[in-house]
Amino acid sequence: MLRFIVRRLLSSIPVLFGILVVTFVIARVIPGDPCQAALQERANPTACAQFNERYGFDDPILVQLGTYVGDVFTGDLGESVRLRRPVTDLLTERLPVTLQLSAAALLIAVVVGVPLGVLAGSRRNSKTDVATIVGANVGVSIPVFVLGLILQYVFARELNDTPLGLPASGQLTAGTIPEPFYEAWGLRENTVLEFLANIDLLNAVLIWRWDIFVDALQHLILPAVALATIPMAVIARMTRSSLLDVLGLDYVRTARAKGLRERVVIVRHALRNSLLPVVTVMGLSLGTLIGGAILTETIFNLTGVGKTLFDAITGRDYFVVQGFTLAVAVAFVLINLVTDIVYAYLDPEVRVG
Amino acid sequence: MRRPQRAWLAAVVAASLVAAACSGDDDDSGGGGGGAGGDFEPLAYDESAACGTEEYTGNLAAIEAVDELTVRFTLCEPDVAFPSKVAFSALGIHPSEHLDETDGSPIDNPIGTGPYRLEAWEQGNQIVLTRNEDYWGEPAAVPTLVFRWSQEPAQRLVELESGSVDGIDNVGSEDFEAVESNSDLQLIEREPLNVFYLGFNVDVEDPPLNDETLRQAVGYAIDRERIVENFYPEGSQVADQFLPPGIPGYEEGAESYTYDPDRARQLLAEAGYEDGVDLGPLSYRNESRPYLPQPAQVASDIRDQLAQVGIRVQLDEQESGAFIDNSNTGNLGLHLLGWNADFPDPTNFWDFHFGPGATPQFGTGFEDLHEVLAEAASTTDEETRNELYAQANDLLMEHAQALPIAYGGSAVAFRADVEGAHASPLSNERFASMSVERDQIVFMQSGEPSGLYCADETDGEALRVCEQINESLLAYEVGGVEVEPALAAELPEPNEDLTEWTFRLREGVTFHDGTPLDANDVVESYRVQWDAADPRHTGRDGTFTYFEALMGGFLNPPAEPVGG
Repeated sequence: MLRFIVRRLLSSIPVLFGILVVTFVIARVIPGDPCQAALQERANPTACAQFNERYGFDDPILVQLGTYVGDVFTGDLGESVRLRRPVTDLLTERLPVTLQLSAAALLIAVVVGVPLGVLAGSRRNSKTDVATIVGANVGVSIPVFVLGLILQYVFARELNDTPLGLPASGQLTAGTIPEPFYEAWGLRENTVLEFLANIDLLNAVLIWRWDIFVDALQHLILPAVALATIPMAVIARMTRSSLLDVLGLDYVRTARAKGLRERVVIVRHALRNSLLPVVTVMGLSLGTLIGGAILTETIFNLTGVGKTLFDAITGRDYFVVQGFTLAVAVAFVLINLVTDIVYAYLDPEVRVG
Repeated sequence: MRRPQRAWLAAVVAASLVAAACSGDDDDSGGGGGGAGGDFEPLAYDESAACGTEEYTGNLAAIEAVDELTVRFTLCEPDVAFPSKVAFSALGIHPSEHLDETDGSPIDNPIGTGPYRLEAWEQGNQIVLTRNEDYWGEPAAVPTLVFRWSQEPAQRLVELESGSVDGIDNVGSEDFEAVESNSDLQLIEREPLNVFYLGFNVDVEDPPLNDETLRQAVGYAIDRERIVENFYPEGSQVADQFLPPGIPGYEEGAESYTYDPDRARQLLAEAGYEDGVDLGPLSYRNESRPYLPQPAQVASDIRDQLAQVGIRVQLDEQESGAFIDNSNTGNLGLHLLGWNADFPDPTNFWDFHFGPGATPQFGTGFEDLHEVLAEAASTTDEETRNELYAQANDLLMEHAQALPIAYGGSAVAFRADVEGAHASPLSNERFASMSVERDQIVFMQSGEPSGLYCADETDGEALRVCEQINESLLAYEVGGVEVEPALAAELPEPNEDLTEWTFRLREGVTFHDGTPLDANDVVESYRVQWDAADPRHTGRDGTFTYFEALMGGFLNPPAEPVGG
């Protein structure tokens, strides 16, 4: 198993390197000048000369690439030209926001999607089945921003004064400044601890602040639900069709022939096998969620990966585009690895190593 | 922590032949350049030799701490607007020690004297300020002030409606009604500090833009009300003069062009164009600005209106940068442009556009208007100034170099229970004077500040936050533009020719870190911006745009990249 993991990690290095080069090139072929974008009215030839020198944009492109690759290997992802902050700082601050949101969304998608798929698959062509499939199709089709705005309107505005009211933004209540857990524990600050402390729910648990935990949870519900619909629908459909495939197999017939109750047949025998493709879908969904939550983040005013990437692209903030894309790529690689491991656990026929 | 005596400081001071300078350094390393002690050693920088040299475009000649609580500014040329400039937040006063410690860039840890101090800036999320309990004036009513931001007007509104924020900036133009019809909310229109105009280069002979009667005909041919009604958000107004209403010197009920197509045709005939005339390109840029939210639509509407009376123009959309360049070099004939106030003084509108030193945007200009403006700029007497600017209005109308069309408006909204809620024309709402029955007030603006050292920021999102933390010698009144004392105990006394301005500081003012304010803090806060060769002239990106705009230029302007 360990050999498998190491081999997979090593083989992902060329992939990541390729992504690094491609984003580097793409960032630079987008028309527009980072100096113009950053300085705007203040951009003039003198200021831009200084600016380009400061960030090395006046070097030949291959030199820039070489410098950048060298820096990345030492853990330096460069500096944002718009925010004047190291990209690694931005990642420690913003990746956790998106991770927490994506994880919550995936959790909702799985917890709701899998049972729905099983329900539909086990009662094929029943009313439940049709309703689930129609619901899933609607779920896939409804744009996130429409759903997000509807949720906001209903829960933050119309139901605001009722117990069902939920906040309109994904951020903690204004003025709440949770103490980072490492400070509470008297630990020395470092990037990893900071990263973990920026996951609001986790930090609230670690500093044992129930009120902040509840606040974070309340603010997470609407964006997570909005973000969860599409993967939920995909997972429900996938579970259903996969379950139907498995239910037609010989061993299920054998199980039924033994006189087992249908419930046992489905839950104990069929479900485990039918979840295999679902695991793949979950892995893919999580990757997409991390890189693509821009609409949700915009509607719920969360400064996460998607929003940062969008602003960086429009602002020609090369190092941020490169650094965040690379981070998303790394996340993808890791998620794929985990997916494969889970796969191996679920399916004895898949042998790793 | 004190820094050792700085060689550069000694050099600069020696070069400027200021007597007290050497011992001033001693004081810096010993007592800390401030304090209530009797050992105050005043700093002074006299650069009057630079005035009028080719390298130096600035108007500041010297800054001098006369005693612990007195600062004197000397200017190269008279400047009646000096107090109005000094009140600007880019010229906020910082403790000189803090400027030293941060190498001149207290971007995320500003220390000021204001009613609120910075508690935490969680980047990407919020800025939390807490009340300065030792404030020299009336302390803030609400203990905590939080700034949040969202660039989506709809998002800001829903946050306000749900009560998670107490106030929002820039209500979306479609949302005015939603706010007004909601009894939990209050809508406050922000007085416009801008003007949109149709400009002429009066030197152009072909097409005959040099014909005054013809230009007047254009003035009567434009239906301003229709333009404002169709293409501007609520809170905007029809312009009846070049100064917007929020600027001192605005003349109530000024005479202006009215929409009168018959009169326009008559003037055309008088000018000898009974059969109409072709005035060539009508140039504009397609950049939405507060003074002109919908450039393309307005341009084609104006074209159509002119065509009604027989004046033909062709739309000429130019790239923004090129358009401004062409305007500054006098290369545009008929053009649509506007102006946002840098600081609330009539000179920022009048002299900048129509004074003798103006760019050739409107052509060579007119002697009579030059004279009136020069006279108005050389007096501080408000009544005299107002009379002169009223004369300027008449002259501009007569010469029709520019036809003011609209003042573009905007609005803020607050929860109804926020008392003292207001909108400032300069966008520097003062939250210390607002109160609410909660222990915090949350304001959601359009964007996150890039930095909180506002000497080197131009963005209103940054300035608004800075203004709660740092104060200047003077300030603009709450919700208005009148200049009033702030760190200076009273308005400054100029000498007769308006080149020397002396400020007496308030006694007993302390910064948020407990250090007392003294005259040297003022001198150094200006110095780090003024002298581009000062090692603390760093800021966020080192451009110090507002200092340059307000004071005309830097000492030792950089020919090469500025080092940190």
